[in-house]
Amino acid sequence: MRIVIGQGSCGIAAGAEKVKKALLNTNINAESITITGCIGMCWLEPIVDIYDGDKLTRLVRVSENDAEAIAEYVETGDESKIEKLVVSDEDSEFLTKQTRIALRNCGIINPDEIDAYIGADGYTALKKALGMTPEEVIEIIKTSGLAGRGGAGFPTWFKWNAARQSAGEEKYLICNADEGDPGAFMDRAVIESDPHNLIEGMLIGAYAIGAKHAVVYVRAEYPLAIKRLKNAIAQATEKGIIGDDIFGSGFSCDFTIKAGAGAFVCGEETALIESLEGHRGMPRLKPPFPAQSGFWRKPSNINNVETFANVGWIINNGGEAFAAMGTEGSKGTKVFAVTGKVKRSGLVEIPMGKTLRDVIFDIGGGMKTDKPFKAVQMGGPSGGCIPAELIDTVIDYKALGATGAIMGSGGMVVMDESTCMVGMAKFFLDFTAKESCGKCIHCRIGTKRMLEMLERITNGEGKEGDIELLEELCYSIKDGALCGLGQTAPNPVLTTIKYFRNEYEAHIKEKKCPSGECSALIEYKIVPEKCKGCTLCARNCPVDAISGTVKQPHVIDTDKCIKCGKCYQSCRFDAIVKE
Amino acid sequence: MINLTINGKAITAPEGSTILEAARANGIDIPTLCYDKAVEIYGACGLCVVEAEGIPKLLRSCSAKVSEGMVVNTESERVVQSRKIAMELLMSAHDGDCVAPCQLNCPARTDCQGYVGLIANGEYDAAIRLIKNKIPLPASIGRVCPHPCEKACRRKNVEEPINIAQLKAFAADIDLNAESYLPDLMVRTGKKVAVIGAGPAGLTVAYYLNIMGHSVTVYDMMEKPGGMLRYGIPQYRLPKEVLDKEISLIEKSGVEIVCNSKLGRDFTIESLKAENDAVIVAVGAWKSSSMRTPGEELEGVYGGIDFLRGVIKGNAPDIGEKVAVCGGGNTAMDACRTAVRLGAKEVYVVYRRTRNEMPADKLEIDEAEEEGVIYKFLTNPLSFNGENGKVKSITLQVMELGEPDASGRRRPVPVEGKTEEIAVDSVILAIGQKLVQSDVSELKLNERGNIEADPDFFNTDIDGVFAIGDATNRGASIAIEAIGEADRCAKAVDAYLNGKPLDTRVPYISKRDESKIDYSDREKQSRLTPKVLAPEVRNKSFDEVSLGFTEEEAKAEASRCLECGCREYYKCKLLNVAQRYDIDPGRFAGEMPQKYSHDENAFIERNSAKCILCGLCVRSCREVMDIHAIGLLGRGFTTDVSPAFALPLDQTKCTNCGLCVQLCPTGALTEKANLKKQVPLNEEYTEQKIDIDGKKASVLVSRYNGKILRVIPNDDLSRSMKLSREELIEKVK
Repeated sequence: MRIVIGQGSCGIAAGAEKVKKALLNTNINAESITITGCIGMCWLEPIVDIYDGDKLTRLVRVSENDAEAIAEYVETGDESKIEKLVVSDEDSEFLTKQTRIALRNCGIINPDEIDAYIGADGYTALKKALGMTPEEVIEIIKTSGLAGRGGAGFPTWFKWNAARQSAGEEKYLICNADEGDPGAFMDRAVIESDPHNLIEGMLIGAYAIGAKHAVVYVRAEYPLAIKRLKNAIAQATEKGIIGDDIFGSGFSCDFTIKAGAGAFVCGEETALIESLEGHRGMPRLKPPFPAQSGFWRKPSNINNVETFANVGWIINNGGEAFAAMGTEGSKGTKVFAVTGKVKRSGLVEIPMGKTLRDVIFDIGGGMKTDKPFKAVQMGGPSGGCIPAELIDTVIDYKALGATGAIMGSGGMVVMDESTCMVGMAKFFLDFTAKESCGKCIHCRIGTKRMLEMLERITNGEGKEGDIELLEELCYSIKDGALCGLGQTAPNPVLTTIKYFRNEYEAHIKEKKCPSGECSALIEYKIVPEKCKGCTLCARNCPVDAISGTVKQPHVIDTDKCIKCGKCYQSCRFDAIVKE
Repeated sequence: MINLTINGKAITAPEGSTILEAARANGIDIPTLCYDKAVEIYGACGLCVVEAEGIPKLLRSCSAKVSEGMVVNTESERVVQSRKIAMELLMSAHDGDCVAPCQLNCPARTDCQGYVGLIANGEYDAAIRLIKNKIPLPASIGRVCPHPCEKACRRKNVEEPINIAQLKAFAADIDLNAESYLPDLMVRTGKKVAVIGAGPAGLTVAYYLNIMGHSVTVYDMMEKPGGMLRYGIPQYRLPKEVLDKEISLIEKSGVEIVCNSKLGRDFTIESLKAENDAVIVAVGAWKSSSMRTPGEELEGVYGGIDFLRGVIKGNAPDIGEKVAVCGGGNTAMDACRTAVRLGAKEVYVVYRRTRNEMPADKLEIDEAEEEGVIYKFLTNPLSFNGENGKVKSITLQVMELGEPDASGRRRPVPVEGKTEEIAVDSVILAIGQKLVQSDVSELKLNERGNIEADPDFFNTDIDGVFAIGDATNRGASIAIEAIGEADRCAKAVDAYLNGKPLDTRVPYISKRDESKIDYSDREKQSRLTPKVLAPEVRNKSFDEVSLGFTEEEAKAEASRCLECGCREYYKCKLLNVAQRYDIDPGRFAGEMPQKYSHDENAFIERNSAKCILCGLCVRSCREVMDIHAIGLLGRGFTTDVSPAFALPLDQTKCTNCGLCVQLCPTGALTEKANLKKQVPLNEEYTEQKIDIDGKKASVLVSRYNGKILRVIPNDDLSRSMKLSREELIEKVK
């Protein structure tokens, strides 16, 4: 039997390393214990997969204390030992309902072993591509309809072709792995779990555009991804897959990694180039586009991790096979990082053309609590929210764009009725305002002023006309900001105003937060009829704002109360209400 | 060549040129703040946006290239809206004052900081020229003005305001006692203007209209010109010799003054109109207001200005030994101090509130008391009681202070049943003055009984007849108010005479939030006031009380100025663009970026609170000079320009080449002027060649009033030489 422990960052954070150590301390043969990357079922981590030949038994939420039981099962085959750890059929559907291309090897192969990748048909696509002309490769990508998965959805073949057509010997192929959206971890999972897939996709791209240098710009906050990628590059170099005259084709390409210093804006391609060159990460004005003048002013092509992760599959299976999936305007699959108030959170790859309902309810299992679904934020701080009534929106660049949100890079934050939409918009705007590079006026000052307005509104200091002023500013920023960060920063505000204007109005006119999330606008009160005088709330209150005698109704001193909500959470009789 | 259309105009441009280059080459101005040919395109300010047909996005014209058949609009509604909001946002975070608060609070907008600074530098000639741009009677006004400028002076937040008014008198006196400044006159227009009234308003409007090329005659009913300055202000405060000299300069500049000529008696508005192209009514307010108190008609009860006029004309009434002056303003002070000088033994000032609420100047209140005046605060005359038709006593109602009224001062309310009686020989009512309505029967009056004049254009109900000063709208006010009106009226009348439109919009300027300014780093330095005659000397004499500043005192006092107004005001590109669009940054008022890194060396002064992050300094230092002395620091709203490692400029590789200063579009980086005290001045810049090691190098030379203030290297050679300012100035000379 083979014991495979899911060791993506998420698994490790949940305790997978401790589980591995504990398993190594049992009498299980150490050689049969290996690791894999991210399986994608975040809510079930740590996960241990036990393979008996082709038969997979998946154990979930494993702790180091389960090691002995697992060892006994491995030794005896006694399933009762691990019964309580085996994944439920319902939860298994999370994976079986997906269609995985970019993530095809994730959570299956060992990311530290190039042979594991090669064993899964790895580098066959590269070999195949090197047998074609670069134009033929570009043609296949064109047929596939692959579009940039970083968020903008620009046709990949077009960018490749533009870089190919650009004059000059010296060209660069760059992978943007500066995944910065709060709540997004698709790219990290690909690099941590299947780094060779990225390398293969990039080498094919480099060949297609005529670049001899490939660069991965990855955020320094992804140390495990960097480690595994470095290891993979070393292994591929050793095998002659990276370097001179790859597979004897005459094509040469070197590989470097640049760790970004943690600026969100460096995910914008021209800012990324500035940062690569050692300058402050600030976007350049386009034109010229990177395809004409990019890294070191040479023609450069930049694609996102997930885009490259599809390339090998497309070359092997043909552009038509990829294009067969999806809608008219959006082909293939898309990976989403589903988080928030959803029951099953994790990585979901599905064909374009499925609906949001498919992702959130069918695969994600619906809401975590009994509070109803309210909205989903797509595309992080650059995206927008889509309300419950549009849950049947099809996953397609155009259809999502029509709602005011965007496909984005894949962040999907699910919210229920307890989320204040003004507060949500404020959260994302706070992020973009802080991450603005400070170069252009609209973004540097505009987002700050928007944030101040939202702060006023959520503090109950909003005034008549604020919504209109916010909208005016939003449209102006979209029009005037220099780069994508600024141009998309107003989206969370615009979509929440579009779909939840009544919530803004309630904050401004009635000084009320309908979801009860804005602490400045709520008051905690004890309903005397319901209070049993158990004193639990008073004991939990960190500021001694609750007084009363045992078995008598208690009272909250609203002047002292800091609205932390501890009493509300601790009351067993629903005697405390938010107003 | 590429053919395209910009704003409906068909133009051609070389292939590869940007829309901005094409537009500018064809005289179409597109605003920019971060663009300069010397450095690479940056695209930060976003002001150069234009709309092109068929392209959904706004284009930054600094980078977008022209293409065949392109149709560009540089001023479409969308473009203007985008620029407007960009400017509103920019100015909402621009923590600087374009103009000093003293100047803004002066009704005549006199450049107080400018002349105070010039005085500090000993540049008295330049100071008087600057003052006379706004005030033709500065020696007089300096002496009598209640100086609203000083109320706004921020030095008061350190200890006390600058003695601005006295500094003005100081500079003006120097000018009067030497070869006096006479303004250059513009080409004569042949237009004739008549002004009725030779008070501060009439003289001022006449002075400026004469400068503008019109022939002006001023008619006055009194035997001598000067109006209330002459007949309302006592000799000890404004010696008539000073006033005479100033008025004679106005006459010398070309204004004709005709005295003893009264409206309604010697001429009418209609008759003047027939002989002139415009008539300006500046007749003033020559009637004392009544208190409506029983007994006002008694003998021995005088109006304040009537009393003062009588004294000045040499026919002072017999006021006896006990005099009561009613009122708390400057006229009351003039009256009581005059009464003291006439020999009265007991002079009371009856005022219904307390010392703190008195509208009179504090110095006047104190000096009057030193001279023996007795204040009867919190009293109000109930009646003037007479005997045989002559006043003998006053019954006073005792008052107390109640709730604040509309003016913010606590309202005096009578204390029920509590009265007091004082014996008097005479009473002077100094509670205000009014227009003599019968004089201006030809004009429409408002509900207050004053001439109705447009607040911007000053026209009355008769075409070609304008009105200003105490006789108009809200009635009598201080002289500087009338002078300010007269200055603006001169422009309005000039526009009227030339048939040109008058722009009455108040241009936008940036102002700092007063409440957020920190003065803790300022060293305390007490306010200087000129020495005065001793009380026991002056209470017997009409000699001028103030002895005026000595030069040493004046320089020291002027040097206390905090320099609030921006030195780059006259050439600020940022302000220029801000004023081009109708902006309201208040819509986006919020936190300031809190960047107060202030740093200076011998040449350059950096004030990052004013920085707009156009990056021109950083880029020029890097791209043109390859020095990298400054860079960008931080992120988002608080991004700042800073020398490497936040060191002072002097500890970087900065060579003082001055390029950053030259390119800075606002006051964040300034080149220090060749002055001890820095002053915002409307300098004249000219390009000049200097000789460096036998080669010709270009420099920009700024001059003010003939003096070289700055020399800024203007080409690679002059920048590379690392010459000190002294060396540069020497070479220019």
